[in-house]
Amino acid sequence: MKLAVISCIHGNYEALNAVLSDIDTHRADQIYCLGDLAGYGPHPNAVVELVRSLDIPTCQGCWDEDIVEGLNACECSYPSQLAEKRGHLAHEWTNRAIHPEVRKYLATLPMTLRQDNLCFVHGSPNSQHEYLLPSMDGFAALERVLSAEADVLFCGHTHVPYLRELDNGTLSVKVQQPGQGETQHQFTAPLKRIVNAGSVGEPRHGRPNATYVLYDTDSAQVTLREVPYDYAKTCAAIIEQGLPPIFAWRLARGMEFAERADDPGHVCER
Amino acid sequence: MANWAILSGIEGNLAAYEAVLADIRRQRQPVTDLYIVGDLVGLRGDNEALVRRVRSPQPGEPIPQVCTGWWEEQCFSLHGLRGLPDAPELVDRDRLGTVKDLWEAVSRQTVLWLADLDFGFHELDCLLIHGSTVSYSDELTPETSPLTLCDRLIRADANTLFCGRSGLAFECWVEPSALQSTVTTLDQTAAPQEQGKSPRRVVGVGNVGRQAGQASYVLYNPGTNKVTFKQVQGSLAKGFGASKGLSHR
Ligand SMILES: [Zn+2]
Ligand SMILES: [Zn+2]
Repeated sequence: MKLAVISCIHGNYEALNAVLSDIDTHRADQIYCLGDLAGYGPHPNAVVELVRSLDIPTCQGCWDEDIVEGLNACECSYPSQLAEKRGHLAHEWTNRAIHPEVRKYLATLPMTLRQDNLCFVHGSPNSQHEYLLPSMDGFAALERVLSAEADVLFCGHTHVPYLRELDNGTLSVKVQQPGQGETQHQFTAPLKRIVNAGSVGEPRHGRPNATYVLYDTDSAQVTLREVPYDYAKTCAAIIEQGLPPIFAWRLARGMEFAERADDPGHVCER
Repeated sequence: MANWAILSGIEGNLAAYEAVLADIRRQRQPVTDLYIVGDLVGLRGDNEALVRRVRSPQPGEPIPQVCTGWWEEQCFSLHGLRGLPDAPELVDRDRLGTVKDLWEAVSRQTVLWLADLDFGFHELDCLLIHGSTVSYSDELTPETSPLTLCDRLIRADANTLFCGRSGLAFECWVEPSALQSTVTTLDQTAAPQEQGKSPRRVVGVGNVGRQAGQASYVLYNPGTNKVTFKQVQGSLAKGFGASKGLSHR
């Protein structure tokens, strides 16, 4: 079975259309979406309607959660104060633009989806706001896959696609308790994988093309896909709608421009 | 030379706290630092008297450094100071009677004082905390999966994580010995990286006040990196040696 996994569409209708066409040409049997349907981009309602009309199983993203719950995340949701300010502007715009039934739909989205040994989340199994960066400590990354009780963990949220293979994980433990002898045991983990689906509508891998992944459940083959689309159209709509022009600038370059989380491991508790 | 005493789970049990202080005074190597990692207050003890005693150490006693625990967080929730309102964890666990008991067991004035305490302490290469950096309710025990213990140590960014949530006394050395990580991006497949690293440990510091006459705590010598378990039964103190040949650094 061939799966296509998409994430972080962020109101970019043009990019979603291009990716769906690419998925068609690859004859995927099933599409999964890892959330962030809204935010940054100019067409959140149209994106949600398209995803719903295609019956694509979808997890709730960090932006979807914020639209439903209100912006009560701590400032940790944003990698810098400047980003926070822009993020607030985009949130307010999206919050005004979103149709009531779209908001209702976003509220129904689950945190995780599963298929056999695969688990799908937006950020991590712990939170829509946790970043699983490829540089994260390997054992911490392995813990996320195992806590999801999966062999392959699909995530998004970082907007940069990657495949991480974690093999031959071995830990040993020595326990000493008062009044008892020392006990020892060993723990080994078989090959586990993290697949980050990148971002359809707000890519940050250094080029403006939309990204997503294909996964073959029979061969366990992962293919990172990069799809060109008419981003100038989305950029024009961003400006036209009065969203911060820097989003258009960033979209045209596929850039992150130094907006990195200070502490990507930090999980917002609210 | 530094010598830390680390306590948790006093739960308002003043007699047990006094017994531990007496045991601390008896140590041949003087205790220089006293940490209480949460659950100062609880349902059954005399919380007000206990908090008064903690806040006014006698001359020559180390000044207790206190962080919040599970029971403190339940108080904050009940008093609407932080977390979810109306202490749902407490309601889940013990039904509504307990909520009323806790409301009566700790005065608002004391709750406000508790609310100013830290979540934990980073000292040297150690983190001292009630649960873990994931949550005050995170309960680490020797039965916790090694990978979870390893994750909590990584998150703590510490070589030793002292915690009190389980109430158990234990020392658990975790050695993440091997893991190959290979990252593929759109542009390249990097060479596999070996992620194995040296052992670190999680230490459960026992509990002072949960069971009458059964106080436990730990001593830690940062100079030798040795943890010693202490049990105090009434006025009788009994020491347990730990970490024989387990000092990896
Ligand atoms: Zn996103
Ligand atoms: Zn996100």
